[in-house]
Amino acid sequence: MAAADSPSAALRRRDLCSRGIRLAGKMRSDVVDLLDTYVERQGLDASASVAAVEGVPAAAVERWDEQTGTQRLLENLAAYRAFRVLLSQMLEEHREQLGEADAALGRAMASVLLQVSAFAYHLEELLRLESRGPPSEEGAPPPPAPHLGLFERKLRGLGVLRELAQWAVRSARDLRQLTKPSPGSSSVPSRAESP
Amino acid sequence: THNLRKMACTWDVSSKRRHGQTDFCYTTNDLPPAVCFKTKEKRVEIPVPESSTTVTITTNSISGTAFTTKRFEIHKTDISFVPLTPHILSLTPDFSTSTLNLKWSDNGSVFPYGLDAFWQIQILRKEAVEKVTQVTYYSKLTHEDIILSWNWTSDMPLECTSHYVKIRCYINVTQFVGPKDWSDWSPVEEVPGKDTDPNGGGVFPQDTVVAVGSDVTICCVHEEGQQIQMTYGSQVYPVIHLSSRSSAIRVLNASASDTSGTNVVCSRSEAAIDGTVLIDGTVLFVGYAPDVPQNLSCETSNFLIIKCTWKPGRPSGLYGKRGTNYSLFERISGKNVSCEVDEMNRERVCGFPVLADQNNYDFILGVSNPIGQTQSSLLVDLTQRVHPKTPEKLTVSGNSSTSVHLRWFVNGSFAEIRLLCQIEISSGHSERKMHNVSMPGGKFSTYTAQLNTLHPYTKYQFRVRCSAADHFWRWSDWSRAEEHTTLEAP
Repeated sequence: MAAADSPSAALRRRDLCSRGIRLAGKMRSDVVDLLDTYVERQGLDASASVAAVEGVPAAAVERWDEQTGTQRLLENLAAYRAFRVLLSQMLEEHREQLGEADAALGRAMASVLLQVSAFAYHLEELLRLESRGPPSEEGAPPPPAPHLGLFERKLRGLGVLRELAQWAVRSARDLRQLTKPSPGSSSVPSRAESP
Repeated sequence: THNLRKMACTWDVSSKRRHGQTDFCYTTNDLPPAVCFKTKEKRVEIPVPESSTTVTITTNSISGTAFTTKRFEIHKTDISFVPLTPHILSLTPDFSTSTLNLKWSDNGSVFPYGLDAFWQIQILRKEAVEKVTQVTYYSKLTHEDIILSWNWTSDMPLECTSHYVKIRCYINVTQFVGPKDWSDWSPVEEVPGKDTDPNGGGVFPQDTVVAVGSDVTICCVHEEGQQIQMTYGSQVYPVIHLSSRSSAIRVLNASASDTSGTNVVCSRSEAAIDGTVLIDGTVLFVGYAPDVPQNLSCETSNFLIIKCTWKPGRPSGLYGKRGTNYSLFERISGKNVSCEVDEMNRERVCGFPVLADQNNYDFILGVSNPIGQTQSSLLVDLTQRVHPKTPEKLTVSGNSSTSVHLRWFVNGSFAEIRLLCQIEISSGHSERKMHNVSMPGGKFSTYTAQLNTLHPYTKYQFRVRCSAADHFWRWSDWSRAEEHTTLEAP
């Protein structure tokens, strides 16, 4: 991290990191459950291959262990801000397409969206402990949802949730890395190695 | 002849010799003098004779000397009538409904009034331009040029492959004695499919709604010669070849789809560079037209809003923006209200404002979804459909051993009717008693009643409910109970 920490800041950061790791773990299991429900309710094939979703930073990263703590937090924050927009779009589309007909899936999505927003706020807290603070979101309106057919939207939703599940794993690793006294000691799996 | 007035005569010259102009003469109904003129053509247009005409054709040499002459006796029965080839004005596709709209001119100004005209319209399709259907359309000529219009709905999305249309006509000129025949076919008009568009690709129709039991053709426009597989839901379907870039499946007697629709997936056999199998798809929503609303009932609890309720009948199976829309139209006032309805609530509710100076309401509840529409109607006299809200703020007072004074509030504007309120009196050991009291209704008023002949030093529970006095419809719910103990006897 950039500046020498005072003992209270280090303690605060350790606390935030460990709470963040727990939040990421919970988020991951909820996302995996949501994925199962989503695939089943949307009539998709669980093995369907989905092209990379535009606007979603990839969880797999090269030379993970060389990243600084700030880089990790900034990349995480960019990802979860993007997921917040994408999940909001998915929820909006879900209500438009199905109304109250599949409220359970809607509630599951809303719950994950809430956790993503909370995690983004958490990352902003961690960045505030550094001198620079989190990048502001003003002046960067979220990209509008692309005009896609319904089936493509279903696949896009699948891609978003899959990537989010990967990010939850990576975030836990990143936060564990931040709690270590010295930077980088273990490597991040590439996409293939991710669980 | 094309127009019953002029006829075209054509001929040929068998001699190999080079020849110059031709002298053409004809008589009108065989009466002299003949009409003559020179022509370089081998085709002339002359009036159609009443009965017959004699034609003399003299072929001259280059120098102008006649070298052959021929006479023809042409009777009216020899002249054939073939209408001019019709001309398609426009062929307009509506992709959302897979409908082609054809417009053409009937060229009626050329013909006398009232003739019967028959138009054969041929629809062709696919790469091989195969005939799909041929239809005969009938019209009456009115001695004016009328633009005729005809619609045809394809059994497959127009994007799937190119559709072609051509038209010809037959005019039934009863008084024309010569042979009558169909015109030539018009030039073909084309609506190109997406399989002719270099960037065209995808599965069609996109995200459409069909009725349960429909037969649906769904196509996949892909790269030239690509092998594809198409699944409907979880079932692989046999593929129908439409063109080198378009294949289709045919789903018969489609059953109701799940909430999120039935996915139709087109997957290419060979994977993309990064190993992923390229897939395209669409979602088909299969549902029912809305059922006729059952048990439509309307009442008011406050003479401000009329609340109509009904049972929706069979679910349509369509939700969200494809769900069922309800609107309440009142015929007397002409006012229309669209209803916000919770699809998951078994009973449907819609509010309509009470209108000034109007007691009778002639309601039509309109119901529609993408598949169909229906309606239910109800005529009500609002004064006979009063279902007051639960009485509130019941208070019981009295400093007597045998009587009490009750006050309560009913939310609503009942100035136009009388209210009947029922007070339930119960006390520990004696049987429950009912006391009815009626009074003029008020506007958001408090109402009172006096009860006598009670027992001294007795704990009573009182509650009250109200309804319309003159035309009973429904009691309100009971108010909360209030306790009161009468004083000891003096």
